[in-house]
Amino acid sequence: MTDRVRAGLRTSCERGRWVPERALVRQWRELDDGAAPAHYSAGRDPPAREPDLRPLCILAFVVVFGVLAVPVAPAQEGAANARGKELYDKWCAECHGETGAGDGAAATHMLPRPRDFTRAVFQIRTTASGELATDDDLRRIIDEGMPGTAMPGWRGRLNAADRDAVIAYLKTFSTFFEGATPQPITLGRAPRGTAEGIAEGRAVFEKLECFKCHGELGRGDGQSAPTLTDDWDQPIHAADLSESWNFNGGSTVQQIYTRLRTGLDGTPMPSFSDAIDANVITDEQLWRVARYVRSLSPEEPPRPRDVIRAAVVARLPAGPEDSAWAMVEPAYVPLVGQIVVKPRWFGPAVTAVWVQALHDGQTLALRLTWHDRSSSPDPAWDEWLGRMRDAMSDGDAPVAAEQGPDRLHVQFPVRWSDDVERPYFLGGSARRPVSLWRWSSDGDMLQEGTSTGLGRFTPAAAGNATHSARYDRGEWALQVSRPLVPADSAAAIPFMPGRAIPIAFFAADGSNGEDDVRGAVSAWYAVYLDVPAPPRVYVAPVVAVLVSAGLGLLVVREAQKQAGRLNRREG
Amino acid sequence: MKHVMLSATILTVGLLGSAAGPMAQGGSVTGTVKFSGTPPANPKVDMSDEAACKGKYPTDPVITVTGGNLQNVLVYVKSGLPAGPKVTAPTTPVVVDQEGCLYHPRTLAVMAGQPLEIRNSDPVLHNIKVVAKKNRGFNISQPAKGMKTTRTFTAQEIAIPVACNVHGWMHANLNVFAHPFFAVTGADGSFTLKGLPAGTYEVEAWHEKLGTQTMSVAVPATGSAAATFTFKAGS
Amino acid sequence: MSRRLREMLAHPFWQAALILLAAYLVMAAIGWASAPVPKSVVVQYMLSALAGVLIYVSDNEGRWRRFKEPIHRTMVEPDRRRLRGGLLVLVPVFVGWVTYQQVRPKVSAPAALRSVHPASPVQITFRGKRMDLATLENPLRQSGDLQQHYAAGRRIYYQNCLPCHGDLLDGRGHYAQGFNPTPLPFDGSTIAQLRESFVFWRIAKGGPGLPKEGTPWNSAMPVWEDFLTEDEIWQVIIFLYEQTGLQPRRLGAGEGERHD
Repeated sequence: MTDRVRAGLRTSCERGRWVPERALVRQWRELDDGAAPAHYSAGRDPPAREPDLRPLCILAFVVVFGVLAVPVAPAQEGAANARGKELYDKWCAECHGETGAGDGAAATHMLPRPRDFTRAVFQIRTTASGELATDDDLRRIIDEGMPGTAMPGWRGRLNAADRDAVIAYLKTFSTFFEGATPQPITLGRAPRGTAEGIAEGRAVFEKLECFKCHGELGRGDGQSAPTLTDDWDQPIHAADLSESWNFNGGSTVQQIYTRLRTGLDGTPMPSFSDAIDANVITDEQLWRVARYVRSLSPEEPPRPRDVIRAAVVARLPAGPEDSAWAMVEPAYVPLVGQIVVKPRWFGPAVTAVWVQALHDGQTLALRLTWHDRSSSPDPAWDEWLGRMRDAMSDGDAPVAAEQGPDRLHVQFPVRWSDDVERPYFLGGSARRPVSLWRWSSDGDMLQEGTSTGLGRFTPAAAGNATHSARYDRGEWALQVSRPLVPADSAAAIPFMPGRAIPIAFFAADGSNGEDDVRGAVSAWYAVYLDVPAPPRVYVAPVVAVLVSAGLGLLVVREAQKQAGRLNRREG
Repeated sequence: MKHVMLSATILTVGLLGSAAGPMAQGGSVTGTVKFSGTPPANPKVDMSDEAACKGKYPTDPVITVTGGNLQNVLVYVKSGLPAGPKVTAPTTPVVVDQEGCLYHPRTLAVMAGQPLEIRNSDPVLHNIKVVAKKNRGFNISQPAKGMKTTRTFTAQEIAIPVACNVHGWMHANLNVFAHPFFAVTGADGSFTLKGLPAGTYEVEAWHEKLGTQTMSVAVPATGSAAATFTFKAGS
Repeated sequence: MSRRLREMLAHPFWQAALILLAAYLVMAAIGWASAPVPKSVVVQYMLSALAGVLIYVSDNEGRWRRFKEPIHRTMVEPDRRRLRGGLLVLVPVFVGWVTYQQVRPKVSAPAALRSVHPASPVQITFRGKRMDLATLENPLRQSGDLQQHYAAGRRIYYQNCLPCHGDLLDGRGHYAQGFNPTPLPFDGSTIAQLRESFVFWRIAKGGPGLPKEGTPWNSAMPVWEDFLTEDEIWQVIIFLYEQTGLQPRRLGAGEGERHD
């Protein structure tokens, strides 16, 4: 086809006339399901006919030939491209694929999949929806990586020139970049943030129906969430807006606002720039939405701490919704896919569990909250499960065809040991089992028992714990209470105030194809039951204050007396 | 995949009076797209979660047959175009309306450079996601009733998916041509491809679900060639 | 203004205050630049600084008198009543707060001493095959095409190891945050100090294969014997060294020698 177009152009040019119709008509002949080259634009008026336009013809010939020759002859790459290719093949190709199609060896173990560069569709841009990313946009992603995905920042590994070479190379995967100079859209300055501004942001969030996908409280559980796919037909989660540290394009208000303006191309997230142009909302209102979205997450990304403290209270909360829990700071426990034993799971839905603990000297109460986009099983999510099955079955075994329940497991050692040795963090082992609380949304059941490895569970004859769970708009909250000294201490560890007890967690979302092996796991943490504070904790500081105040007064009084005597003597 | 038997035949070559206007110069292809047999039931759509659209359209009208005529079929000259006068893209937009949480019409065809106007007649949020390969796709939102957005395309590309992610059932298809010889059938199943130079062309009829049919049509210098396509339900 | 400042700087009381402040800032800077300095060390250091300052101000009779003068004036002069009252409240409150910090119950994580690179066993059994780690060498360095082994190893790494050990081989993959201890980085000098047979053992037997001092119960390293063949493990080892540009430790004469 390229030869024929070239021939057509040559014939037109030989006649010394610029007759673009020839080229156009030649192309009509080639219309087999859209084979017209992308650089061709219809509707351009032909220039006025001049007696001789040979130089222009030659130029046009060179340009067209050049454009057509690029995919045919990649050997004409410059030195920078050779360097870019070398680095790309070494560091990028196993995920993004040798031809840039996002189909490297690791791709099927990742969700979202690595970027396919051949379509030149980019999520994180400063350009309008449908436009290419600028070099600066691409540089930002390569330098800093994409939070919430497997893409790291490359600053520490590749120097600036090498990163530029990689950018130049990956742009050759798509003809869209040829001769293109994408322009960033103009972004205004953020208006001042106020409490009313955030309230208005929330109102606009509702007016724009962001909740349709992101959910009423922004946990990514909206009614359309289970139907979402990206441009490559892979399942894609509506972002959980309360976890800004996982935002692909960054968590600042400015970054969120930019995403609202440009959309996240390739994903279901649209651009809202047209809504401003059509006076449906104002630019300022969109800034407020960005501020509101930012306010759904903590100021700082949470950091895991090794020890979860259980303070002493007189009365334990009655259930997970008891307002007394609001006073207890939740500890953040990040969870990641179980990729240690078969079948491994590379697509976990639960990213963290937040743990609160209290005790009253008799009973330990734990409140566990975690975000889960569905209360499984939920027929609305059948479609999602089907897609997960297609997308993530390239592991050690196919994903379940039916939705199971949601699960949360809490694990302790079965007994105290005097040395530091613990059971294996991943559900224990035959030699050293763990004691497990297995909660399941199927009938809202809590089973107690022992486990000798993931999925190898033996229920105890009788339970010691009581529990209560509720699901609300994308979040499970579960309270489990157990006497410090269990009735059956053979299978359950006694909790002792003043000692740190190892504790670990496992969570699974049934709608996501997860079960009691495929799910999200944590490392060992510890829960420490506070010892009731001895009286000296309160007495000692008071005594110290009184003594130092008394001494101070005494010294001042003495000094003043002395000064008075001196004055009198002198006076 | 589509289980469609090609059963199209050229019936007659009639002579019609040459119409006025530049587009009417030359010959044309006129015809109808028929559907024989009982059309398959269209998929049910559950809009119960969307108060504004609930109950308006119980099914997704993928296959619409009225009196044996098939609607929403794209008919276009696939190949055989000779050297001819250049046609500037029309400036009149092709309009697609979102109403009752469906696209109207669901098969869209524009010439490269011709505006596509997207309207929202629903008082709810729609996003319009166009996933193109040869053109630049986009994803824009229309959060209010009465909103209009206009976009143009640059390259010939058939069957570009258009979808709304808020309402997963909403699908349309967009077709972009580098030439003006295309049409989409209405409720009566008829189409006309005007202004064709005399010659023999490969004309294709494409339906999103029923697949494609192609036939060779000889067009006279003036007047019209008739063509009838008949789609059948898959066995 | 500047005259007053100069007068202040010449005054022993303010000199003493400035010396103490400077001494504290030095400590803070050390803590900020490297590791935080333990509180007890700070207290001891500040006490020595205070002793030095007191020796300095009391060394000369005139200076001692001038040093005491502002303190004395604060205690007696009627126009300093407010400052006096403020100090009489603030100083005891500070003392009380310090006391509370001393006596309040504190929590510490359970002790977990861990040896990062425990000694390997003399012998392992890999899928029924006995291997003597003392003499074991990477057989693929002697057979086949190194580039092909590297390419195969890279594929295996990206399909299996990437989530924890990361794209950059820095031990900070997107799953690394979930595990404790965190995955081993390969871009430091660690693997250059190891023999390939040791690396083979660590990969093949994973966390559960560690001796007790390596806290096998905490390690998330899978038992790769269950997933990968012997050749695949050797290939991934070749990848690790090639990609990082490091060399494994060798036995005897060949030690430190480049392999290609």
